[in-house]
Amino acid sequence: MNSSKKVVLVGHFGVGKSSLMRRFVQNTFSDNYIVTIGVHILKKEIKIEELNLTLVIWDIEGKDDIQKVRSSYLLGTSGFIYVIDPTRSQTYERFNEEIDFLKTTYPTSKIVSVANKSDLIDIEEFKKLLEQKNISIDYFASAKEGIEVENLFQTIGLKMVKNV
Amino acid sequence: MTDSEKLIKLKELLLSEDRDFAQNILQKLDSLEDTVNTHEKLSEKVNPIIDKKIDTFVEEIPTKLGPVIADALTKSQDKVVEALFPIIGKMIKKYIQQEIKALSDSINSQVQTTFSIKTWQRKVKAIFTGVSEKEIILSEMNQTSVEQIFVIEKGSGLIISSASKQESIDEDMIAGMLTAIKSFVEDAFKKDQQSLESIQYELFEIHIQNFTSYYFAVVISGGFDASFKNKLENKLFDIASHIKTDAVDKEHITIKLTEFIHE
Repeated sequence: MNSSKKVVLVGHFGVGKSSLMRRFVQNTFSDNYIVTIGVHILKKEIKIEELNLTLVIWDIEGKDDIQKVRSSYLLGTSGFIYVIDPTRSQTYERFNEEIDFLKTTYPTSKIVSVANKSDLIDIEEFKKLLEQKNISIDYFASAKEGIEVENLFQTIGLKMVKNV
Repeated sequence: MTDSEKLIKLKELLLSEDRDFAQNILQKLDSLEDTVNTHEKLSEKVNPIIDKKIDTFVEEIPTKLGPVIADALTKSQDKVVEALFPIIGKMIKKYIQQEIKALSDSINSQVQTTFSIKTWQRKVKAIFTGVSEKEIILSEMNQTSVEQIFVIEKGSGLIISSASKQESIDEDMIAGMLTAIKSFVEDAFKKDQQSLESIQYELFEIHIQNFTSYYFAVVISGGFDASFKNKLENKLFDIASHIKTDAVDKEHITIKLTEFIHE
């Protein structure tokens, strides 16, 4: 069986959305920061049990407020990956509020959250900080080191297929 | 033996060897001068050396000169473009002139066959449609053709079905980017109930026809006039009547699209 799903990477600018996508699809990483203008689309096929699932991944330009993102880019999305940068607190200050907005506006879509650049922090210390702020992050990944990137996309794929 | 005779004898003994040596050098110089001043003799000596050097140079052009030229061209791209532009411009102008002449000859030959059935059909068509005979001839020469057709889900930009005359690059990404461009344009102008209808790309036109939950994107080459657009829209309405967004219908739609593209 074959199926295709639209996955959108959301989050503030500079959190590493494009880097996560490039690491997952092309297995590459570059230190040079090139800001995404508009949208960049790549795709990759993954296997979820017997299903060949094509993830059509939309890497949209970063915004400091999810409500400022063009709604037409988010329509028809089956899965969101919300990316934060643990080294910049402003990228997760309004995390719960933004996740609630996605859940309310796109109730059928699945959401996975990820703290990228985890190679730059003490993960345990950061988890304590998140706990204080009542923020729950699913993955602590690093596009640079290739940590947890594959699992992250595999999880969003599974959530979309199994509807969990 | 007198003193003067003894002196001569001594000179002979002391200087004869030097004199012979000087004589020998003089002879060699004469020979060298002769070789340098006589073209044939010089060529005989120098040509093999030059030939060998040229051969080595030719062999080494790709490895030694290639990167240097490429580097120089990269560093001064603007200058190269400036230098080439007038030449290329003239070539293009000449080419277009030739093509227009060929087109003009072709139109003339078609017009001159006054008594052929096709000409009379064309004349009648021109009278009834109000389109000039020349325009009809031009449209006959610039045949419109559907190259590719996509049925794309609105919002997600995922392909429902597609058909193509040739192998194309990644269709999922084409559909996604088309949807993103369409969304951007429609958002940017913020006009309700208005949508992007076509995109022109060099010799191709991408005709977009919107339906409620999906849209058609049809890649067309050749002259895309109102009459073809009308036929195309009718055909798309016909195909749309078969579309239901469940998996069972997808194969049926692909068959319909493939039939249409090869009509």
